[in-house]
Amino acid sequence: MPYRVQLQNFEGPLDLLLFLIRKNEVEIYDIPVADITQQYLEYLTMIELLDLDNASEFVLMAATLIRIKAQMLLPKPELEDDEEAEDPREELVRRLLEYQRYKEVAWEISDLEKEQRQHFPRSDFTFNFEDDKDVDEEELLGKEVSIFGLMSVFAEIMKRIPPRTEHTVEQIPVTIEEQAEVIMCLVDKQDRVLLTEILQQIKERIIVIVTFVALLDLVKNKRVQLNQNNPFAEIWIRKI
Amino acid sequence: MDHAFQKQIVEALIFASDVPISAKKIADLEEELDSRKIKKIVEELNSDYQKSKRAFFIANVAGGFQLNTRKDFTPWLKKLFKGRLRTRLSQASLESLAIITFKQPLSRVEVDAIRGVNSGGVIKNLLERNLVCIAGRSEGPGKPLLYGTTKEFLRYFGINDIADLPKPKEIDEIMGKLDQEEGISESIIETLTETESFEDESNHKDDSAQ
Repeated sequence: MPYRVQLQNFEGPLDLLLFLIRKNEVEIYDIPVADITQQYLEYLTMIELLDLDNASEFVLMAATLIRIKAQMLLPKPELEDDEEAEDPREELVRRLLEYQRYKEVAWEISDLEKEQRQHFPRSDFTFNFEDDKDVDEEELLGKEVSIFGLMSVFAEIMKRIPPRTEHTVEQIPVTIEEQAEVIMCLVDKQDRVLLTEILQQIKERIIVIVTFVALLDLVKNKRVQLNQNNPFAEIWIRKI
Repeated sequence: MDHAFQKQIVEALIFASDVPISAKKIADLEEELDSRKIKKIVEELNSDYQKSKRAFFIANVAGGFQLNTRKDFTPWLKKLFKGRLRTRLSQASLESLAIITFKQPLSRVEVDAIRGVNSGGVIKNLLERNLVCIAGRSEGPGKPLLYGTTKEFLRYFGINDIADLPKPKEIDEIMGKLDQEEGISESIIETLTETESFEDESNHKDDSAQ
């Protein structure tokens, strides 16, 4: 989709219009509507049609331009002496100028942002043990794990295993009981094991699921205990 | 209490505060100090830091004082906070913020009208980053939510007050050499001065949890 990229350079129809005005080096208050409309429509055809969310606003502007063009072509009604002819472009020019004002402010605050991001305030007082590798391991086995903590680890692991695109039905020889034994075996040997360590070794999604269910089963039967120091920190499995 | 000790008190408070601490707050905590004295002390501290080549200085942001590192150390701090720094704001976010800043409180539809595109997603993102907040509801049809900028907004851009920001140029400035008898431009300038709704400092919403 090469044209989408191009259109996304513009923040909206007004942005595109301003770009065309600048590119053609014409005055904003005296837009050559026919030319600009032509060029605008050329850009518009580049819009991926399925991207309706994005396209509708651009299409609306195209309609506005065409209406203005038509209005300018029509013969003007005779006016009284004190009446001034209204320029059909007036409303559009007003909008363009208004948008332009804020666009300029946006550039200026962008500079401020860039400047300020070079200064680091003394303000982040939340201490994160994960960043500190020298923490006492006993301390890591601090708090009880919430179900949300478990879910997030599970989701994280599932994300790393891409879903298979071809579809062959085969039986995967794994049971909850077997996986429970695998976990118990590891916990026996090492005293405590990281949940991610167990799940990461597994390459098959269904086995991850079975292992996870097995773990929940072990927790329910009070054979293992789960601990976590902080929200989102590593989860440890320990034998009870 | 001698001046040197007062200076240390101010320094201690600014050092330990987790949000920019205002002169008023400091004055509340030590009755011998007032805003004028505190400002003078901060100036002195900053000049002390500079003389002794400290890596930080006291910045005046979001209506308070806060210790900030100097620019010279940015590369190392960036490495230290790698992966934990938020990305810079997108062009769409900056445009919407510019509009909200100078026209607040205003509804999403008003932002959309100026930008010519739907700004819902962008505003949601600004809310999440705590750069804008809901500043009430309009009395108009549908009672839409109104948005305004936050204290975090001031801190993020390193300014003390919205009045410190460059104001949007007046339309005639943008148009520059435009001559006076031009009908369109005159009416535009009129409409815009009428709708000009920028109000200064007192306008931003104080949302930060103290």
